[in-house]
Amino acid sequence: MARDLAIDLGTANTLVYMKGRGIVLNEPSVIALNRQTGEVLATGREAWQMIGRTPGYIVAVRPLRGGAITDFEITERMIRLLLQRVGVSRFTRPKVVICVPSAITEVERRAVTDAARRAGAAEASLIEQPMAAAIGADLPIDEPVGNMVIDIGGGTSETAVISLGGIVSLEAVRVGSFDIDAAIQNHVRREHGIAIGERTAEEIKVAIGSADPTVDENQAEVRGRDLMTGLPKTVVLTPDEVRSAIEDVVSSIVASVIRCLSKAPPELSQDFLVRGMYLVGGGGLLRGLAERIERETEVPVRMSNVPLEAVVLGAGHVIEHYEALKGMFMGARR
Amino acid sequence: MLPYLIIAVLIVLAVVIVARLVRPRQDPVDSFRRQIDALSPEARRPTIDQVRDAAEESGETEEDES
Repeated sequence: MARDLAIDLGTANTLVYMKGRGIVLNEPSVIALNRQTGEVLATGREAWQMIGRTPGYIVAVRPLRGGAITDFEITERMIRLLLQRVGVSRFTRPKVVICVPSAITEVERRAVTDAARRAGAAEASLIEQPMAAAIGADLPIDEPVGNMVIDIGGGTSETAVISLGGIVSLEAVRVGSFDIDAAIQNHVRREHGIAIGERTAEEIKVAIGSADPTVDENQAEVRGRDLMTGLPKTVVLTPDEVRSAIEDVVSSIVASVIRCLSKAPPELSQDFLVRGMYLVGGGGLLRGLAERIERETEVPVRMSNVPLEAVVLGAGHVIEHYEALKGMFMGARR
Repeated sequence: MLPYLIIAVLIVLAVVIVARLVRPRQDPVDSFRRQIDALSPEARRPTIDQVRDAAEESGETEEDES
């Protein structure tokens, strides 16, 4: 009998929690395929290292965008391989809880559950990412108080107010840290005339990217291909110009937090001033983002102790208490 | 033979229908209480500790390797 699983099927990373064991897999959501035969050549970290560096017959892709499946067949194969790696076989079909963005459509939901069932799950249930994140971040969501969680992922940013085990108000935008990378790529191409890859853009974001001015800011040397000559070229980027390049994405995330705050009932709003808001997800690690949200909303922002694992931890807790918490699944509350 | 088979199928169907109708409905208050209890910090502690212990263990292993 297979142990039941919780999966955080993120645009950037996929994490798997096994009942009674904890987190057993944490890998980029990337798959590398042979373009001609369609065979899977690598998944996870190995496939991620191939992005932008493959010969013509290999393609390394992220089958999820904005938290939704863009290629059903490839996603199913990726989930099947992930499940195999954690010990699921044709004869051991576990129950699976999958975290998805709350803003996905009915069709997208069905695509995720179908992909999981075809990949070997006996039963596939979905839970909203902000709800799972709040459970995993150890917020007191069992109490009648306002808990606010901001989950910034690779393709989506979601803000939710949670009280008594349910979502009170929610705001989601299909903007995330990949859009920050894309904004950096576009800026370097437009202003410096050089082309850089997705991974280089991510490295720039991690090295000097910020949402608000911070102390000890450094410049970064960036290497890419000159668009005019086609030759390798190095340019220097300043934190200021990166900040202005990503400003549109950052403002749209902050605006969605403000919209969520304004939708919350007044009784719960006063709780935020005391308890603050909790930031989770890889995008939340952008320097100065917590300070920027705090400055614009005048509500304290705290970083979760486990920003990258909060969502899968929450879903893992749901799988540990499946019978008591199955009423929290998407579609179960109708 | 066939009439007996039909009668047997009808009896099974009737039993299933009756069982479904008389099955006690889950009390919504009880179900809500169980959900809230399962979300309490005490109930969540083992899940969070389990992951924290595993992370600490893997951190120690990495240190040993380096």
